[in-house]
Amino acid sequence: MRAPARIGGYLGARVRLVSFEGSLERCTAEELAANGPWHLLRPYRSRVLAACIMLLCTAGLTLSLPKVLGNTIEALIGPDPEGQVPPLAMWMIGIAIVGAGTRIASRVLLFNAARMAEYDLRSIVFRHLLGLDSGYYRENTTGDVMSRLTNDVQTVRALWGPGLLNIVNTSFLVTVALVLMLQVDPVLTAWALLPYPSMVILGLGFGKRIYKSSRQVQAHLGALSSSIQEDLTGISIIKSYNLEENRAENFAKSSTALLHHNMALTKVRGQLVPTLGAVAALGTVVMLFVGGRRVIEGHITLGQLIEFNAYLAALVWPTLAMGWMISLLQRGRASWERLAVVLETKPQIADGESPALAPESTRGDVEIRNLSLSLGEREILSDISLRLAPGTTTAIVGRTGSGKSTLISALPRLNGVSDGQIFLDGHDINTLPLESLRSLIGFAPQEAFLFSTSIGENIRFGVDRRPLPPNTEAGYQGAIEEAARYAGLSRELIALPDGLDTVVGERGITLSGGQRQRVALARALATQPKVLVLDDSLSSVDAETEREILTHLGELMKDRTSIILSHRLAAVRSADQIAVLEGGKLVELGKHEELLAKAGVYAEIYDTQLREGVLVE
Amino acid sequence: MLRLWRYVKPHWALLCLALLLIPVTVAFELAQPYLLSLAIDVYIAHQITSGLGDLALLFVSFVLMQAVCAYAQIYALQLVGQRSMHSLRMATYRHVLTRRLAFFDRVPVGRLLTRMTNDIESINEMFASGVITLIADVIRLIAIVSMMFYLNVTLTLITFITLPILVVLVAYSRKLMRTSYRLIRVKLAAINSHVQEHLSGIKVVQLFCRERATAASYEAINAEYREAYTGSIRADASMYAIVEAIGVCSAAAIAWHSGASIGEGAITVGLVVAFIEYVNKFFIPIKDFSAKYAVMQSAMAAAERIVGLLDTEEDDAPVLESASDRQGEDDASYAIDFNEVTFAYRIGEQVLNGLNLTVEPGQKIAVVGSTGSGKSTLIKLLARLYECDSGRITLGGRDIRSIPAADLRKRITVVNQDVFLFAGSIRDNVRLGHQGASDAEVDQALAQIGADKVIEDLADGADAQVADRGENLSAGERQLIAFARSLVRNPEILILDEATAHVDPKTESIIEAGLDTLMEGRTTLVIAHRLSTIRNADKIIVLAHGIVEEEGGYDDLLARGGVFAKLEQSFSRDH
Repeated sequence: MRAPARIGGYLGARVRLVSFEGSLERCTAEELAANGPWHLLRPYRSRVLAACIMLLCTAGLTLSLPKVLGNTIEALIGPDPEGQVPPLAMWMIGIAIVGAGTRIASRVLLFNAARMAEYDLRSIVFRHLLGLDSGYYRENTTGDVMSRLTNDVQTVRALWGPGLLNIVNTSFLVTVALVLMLQVDPVLTAWALLPYPSMVILGLGFGKRIYKSSRQVQAHLGALSSSIQEDLTGISIIKSYNLEENRAENFAKSSTALLHHNMALTKVRGQLVPTLGAVAALGTVVMLFVGGRRVIEGHITLGQLIEFNAYLAALVWPTLAMGWMISLLQRGRASWERLAVVLETKPQIADGESPALAPESTRGDVEIRNLSLSLGEREILSDISLRLAPGTTTAIVGRTGSGKSTLISALPRLNGVSDGQIFLDGHDINTLPLESLRSLIGFAPQEAFLFSTSIGENIRFGVDRRPLPPNTEAGYQGAIEEAARYAGLSRELIALPDGLDTVVGERGITLSGGQRQRVALARALATQPKVLVLDDSLSSVDAETEREILTHLGELMKDRTSIILSHRLAAVRSADQIAVLEGGKLVELGKHEELLAKAGVYAEIYDTQLREGVLVE
Repeated sequence: MLRLWRYVKPHWALLCLALLLIPVTVAFELAQPYLLSLAIDVYIAHQITSGLGDLALLFVSFVLMQAVCAYAQIYALQLVGQRSMHSLRMATYRHVLTRRLAFFDRVPVGRLLTRMTNDIESINEMFASGVITLIADVIRLIAIVSMMFYLNVTLTLITFITLPILVVLVAYSRKLMRTSYRLIRVKLAAINSHVQEHLSGIKVVQLFCRERATAASYEAINAEYREAYTGSIRADASMYAIVEAIGVCSAAAIAWHSGASIGEGAITVGLVVAFIEYVNKFFIPIKDFSAKYAVMQSAMAAAERIVGLLDTEEDDAPVLESASDRQGEDDASYAIDFNEVTFAYRIGEQVLNGLNLTVEPGQKIAVVGSTGSGKSTLIKLLARLYECDSGRITLGGRDIRSIPAADLRKRITVVNQDVFLFAGSIRDNVRLGHQGASDAEVDQALAQIGADKVIEDLADGADAQVADRGENLSAGERQLIAFARSLVRNPEILILDEATAHVDPKTESIIEAGLDTLMEGRTTLVIAHRLSTIRNADKIIVLAHGIVEEEGGYDDLLARGGVFAKLEQSFSRDH
């Protein structure tokens, strides 16, 4: 019975998100960031409103209890306790039962609404992150982005759930309890509340100290993490140089520093609750001392004193929670700011205005005109002009740091370029929609990143976006198998018991480097690209297999444009043209023999490689 | 859980203090309602004002004592927790650091990082706000009930008429919560790994225009995560609200019974007030039972993961007694011998296929071969970073598996192609080669290598800080620092993987000179990329497919007309 309800809820949420997105069309991520966290509760305002009404009912019922209690005490001292007390006790039980109902309703409504808003926020931030360009990911580590998406989103959710609950509760309870206390005895109220202003001051002071102290702890935790990360990355040097003890001592220092700062935080936190508790208890003392006299002097009855005491008790918890709430609000605000920074980040690389190119009629004619590109302050490429005609293969070679990878990353606009520098079939790539441009380019990166699904799913990764003829499951399957074959995976796939359905494990860890690269190549081929870019994507494959694959690729890419970046010059010897980069400039361009005859950079690199390469061939 | 106890045990005295402070705190706290009842029954009800002030003063002192004890208890407890977690963190760290390299190939750095930071943090939370708070709660509950029994037995029994409902409720919601939290944990892991994976592979996602599909799959997992909370929200709210209601009902029961029997004299108004206060105090810890339960649950999972990590075997290079055949034990000449060595990183991908190789003391050997021929594997096996699958390697006649890793690695120093520098100054990094080296020795090493000429251009010279693992230094500078690091170490055997990075001619000549200094008088095995190294070697080893294809002197190999000669021919065309 529960299952359908859950599915219904799930679908409902979907629809809500869509409708929310509808309102987001008028409200960009940036505006959302400006509107603040409460804006996200808007789609759920009816629930939140209902929750607040339930909260007020609960608080009202809670505050009606002292009156009943006071009357009960009066009845106990009175002439007919046996007759008068039971109805009052019945009242208490009734209030308790109704109060339980409203309390459950308020919490379930509010906390569920908060979870839904959390879902929306997380989805929106993630969606926004997917659109940010590589520049953003160069500057922000995955770990940092992850922590925003998990920790910060949760902290913001605490604003909506416990945060809102306590704001409503506290303000209502305090106001009403004050009014009721004043009704009982204004003089006593003044006395009993004497310690309370100091509580507010203490709460604020503690809030500041806790904030400062926890910032310190966070900083040291960060230092500890980077120390661990450094050591684990350099583990082989640690072992080779017997540095285990030395590094452990170093780590002990970081860990001890963290311990001390944690203890400093504990000190502040440890003082907070007892201090506020003591101040609250002082109110009871005042009540006892002053109130006792006022009963004796006949200003109020004993029952009223008990009633008053109960109001005071009802105030203690909200007051105690105040310090906690202050830190909750502060942390929520800080986290929201961290999320707002993400939402305010505009992607540097955005869709162009022109219509998409039709894949069938695109030839894959690439022209690079006077391309200059800087990352940060460093100029990586300067004034490169190069024509890549359809049906030809261009090899890009050069030493480490010569700008090869930057050049080819500019084609699918992984790195942004200025207008009028790169053209595809005569269209400035900046004017094309990103999806149109990228779907025409098959890119096999050197670092073959695979997702933890099956080999087949990984190859299929880019296929769905471009319905291939025949647009059927069998058609897809055929395309995937063909791509795997061209990528030289056939032999392995036969050897694997599950073939294409073999699951590759986290980041493809169960495959060898060469196998991963070939799966990534197949992934690029399966999209049937007009321009194929191999970014040194066979570096972990042995030389023989690389040559074999490249030869077969020649047939496949007959009418299309190929760009091959490789460290092994032998592999690209037969390219139609070889572009040699040095220090970000195009220094040589021509066929293998022409370049060798020049005895320039190319010839030099070629010789160096012969020493290693030819030996075993 | 018991496995982790040993990290707490050294701090038992402090822990006892913290535990002892619990009943003291509770005593001061529970005396307060009693004083209240005294005030009502003895003074207020009988209209006596003298003495009420003293009572108030006593109340104040109890309040203050409670605060002081509570603070001392929290502090002592946190100190135990933090110190234990420090020990646990150190133990985990040392354990991880002494795993063999194959372990690090398999386990991602991020996962180990999470174990040593977040997981340990959540165990600490369990310790401080879980277990001990639970103990404190139990003590408080027992004390409250005892106090109530002491004051009035019948009234106490009436009060706890509601207890069976409470027991059923707690049992039920615990079950509900356990299921819910288990589900939450699974979904949380799923959501995190999805994000981690797709952000790491963001380039691929964007290149293949999978943004929309990725967002959709994320939203599906995200929704499952949200739905996983439904149960816990419901259980949480019900528990809190019903416990609150039961508290009020108990108060009603007290009033009801008192109404019937107040005339008998055993029950006074003060007693009723005190009882209601006690009932309130009784239900407070039960109300936030679910919050504590959540903390405990996630900590248990964290503890399991850490114990799992501490249980990983794969010790790095353990001394194998059976391998010490005592043969040639006192041969201090450090000849290296590879005997039929085979090795594979992965089953079925053989890297070394029965490699045989002998290096005489004092010889300089150049190893050449293509990528994948097993050159770097050779080095790793010799330093015992990996273990041979079969065959054996001996050093001065002793199987390297019988030599303690620290001894072995003190004699054999490896200089890698890509130099890893730690955060710290250049001097610190050189000193890593030999901990006891003085500043003068470090500077001397830098000067001998010729690095002084390069680093004097830096603002702080040898005190310049290495940033981002050496990104602020050039490849050539990093190489020279690594040479100096090896020189202060002064090993008998030097293993060098020559850098392939092309550097400017000036640095190149400094590096070549530095290399000569470093190799002087040492047995050296060089994976050679420079022609000068190859020409100056005593012997050249040509590796292919994990075996030695050719070996001999430079001229011998040329004369033989094999693969090496072919290389040399094409190479000498321009030189």
